[in-house]
Amino acid sequence: MDGSTQARKVLLEGLFVAVIGAVVALAANRFSPRGLNLTRNYFPAGGVTATNASSPANLLAARLQERGIHLANSNQVSQFFTDPRYGQELIVFIDARDEQHYLDGHIPGACLFDYYHPEKYIATVLQLCQTAEQIVVYCNGGDCEDSVFAANMLRDAAIPGEKLFVYGGGIAEWTTNGHPVEVGPRHSGQFKGAPK
Amino acid sequence: MMTPEPSRKSPVPDIVAVLARWLLGAVFIYMGLNKALHPVEFLKLVRQYDLVTNPFLLNSIAAILPWFEVFCGLLLLAGVAVRGSALMLAAMLIPFTLIVLRRALVIAAAQAIPFCAVKFDCGCGSGEVLICHKLVENCLLIFISAWLMAGRGRQLCLRFNLLNYEQ
Repeated sequence: MDGSTQARKVLLEGLFVAVIGAVVALAANRFSPRGLNLTRNYFPAGGVTATNASSPANLLAARLQERGIHLANSNQVSQFFTDPRYGQELIVFIDARDEQHYLDGHIPGACLFDYYHPEKYIATVLQLCQTAEQIVVYCNGGDCEDSVFAANMLRDAAIPGEKLFVYGGGIAEWTTNGHPVEVGPRHSGQFKGAPK
Repeated sequence: MMTPEPSRKSPVPDIVAVLARWLLGAVFIYMGLNKALHPVEFLKLVRQYDLVTNPFLLNSIAAILPWFEVFCGLLLLAGVAVRGSALMLAAMLIPFTLIVLRRALVIAAAQAIPFCAVKFDCGCGSGEVLICHKLVENCLLIFISAWLMAGRGRQLCLRFNLLNYEQ
């Protein structure tokens, strides 16, 4: 068999592998509990967009303002946390990270709402949000946009934007500021740092 | 009169080729599983490259690529369609290496740091890596893929040629 025939055969075999592999991969994604929904837009509004904002915080604030959502800073979040209404669930903290990160440590009393797998959590979260006066959504902080996406999702689910606050600093800033962190499920009573 | 011993080919290159095939397969299974088990993280990393803006295409890349890597890795380990699998891996490795290189150049320029000091999670499945290490690693993997495409690593294969043609 000459070289070009060999090359053609290898190409054909590669094509075969590609087709079968793609089918297997699609099936694996379909049946994986962590699989992606191919038709969902996980990053609505194009994510980070160029605006006239002078800093990342201003950019974030501008993006949120478009939807009538507020950006909360560290001081505001601390006040929300110590507000007596927090104990009455009139102020609610929503953790937009995944379950593993949530269990590793979250703001005490925060409710898990994995933005990428909302179907598991949306009913509980909406119930809490409907009765709450203020809702603080956070994720890791820094470049993390999941809190913004989660807040937008809640806004789309008819939660008024004026009730929604995105904590841009996220759990990273919360921890750095020395605030307590609850580990395990919500209201587990196990804390890292000083408990509330 | 002594009869000359028949000349024997050294088995060492064949053993090395089989080990290289297994290594390539194992690397892709490991890297693929790391991504397949954390598809959201991989999706975010793919998005950072700004390759596609269409959500369906972006999701498809993030959903298919990791499992496809695992699939090709398994084929190489088992020795099935070795040249076709190696071709597919090379077809993924070469553009991916160029994309990672481009991103590293952008980061080096933006942060004003030496190229080899650039460290980021390239979405390869091994977390944050130094770019120079990653490039060397990818070049090695591309070399192994090309070597297997040339027909090496036939030993201990279930079906070296998937399509039944003469070797």
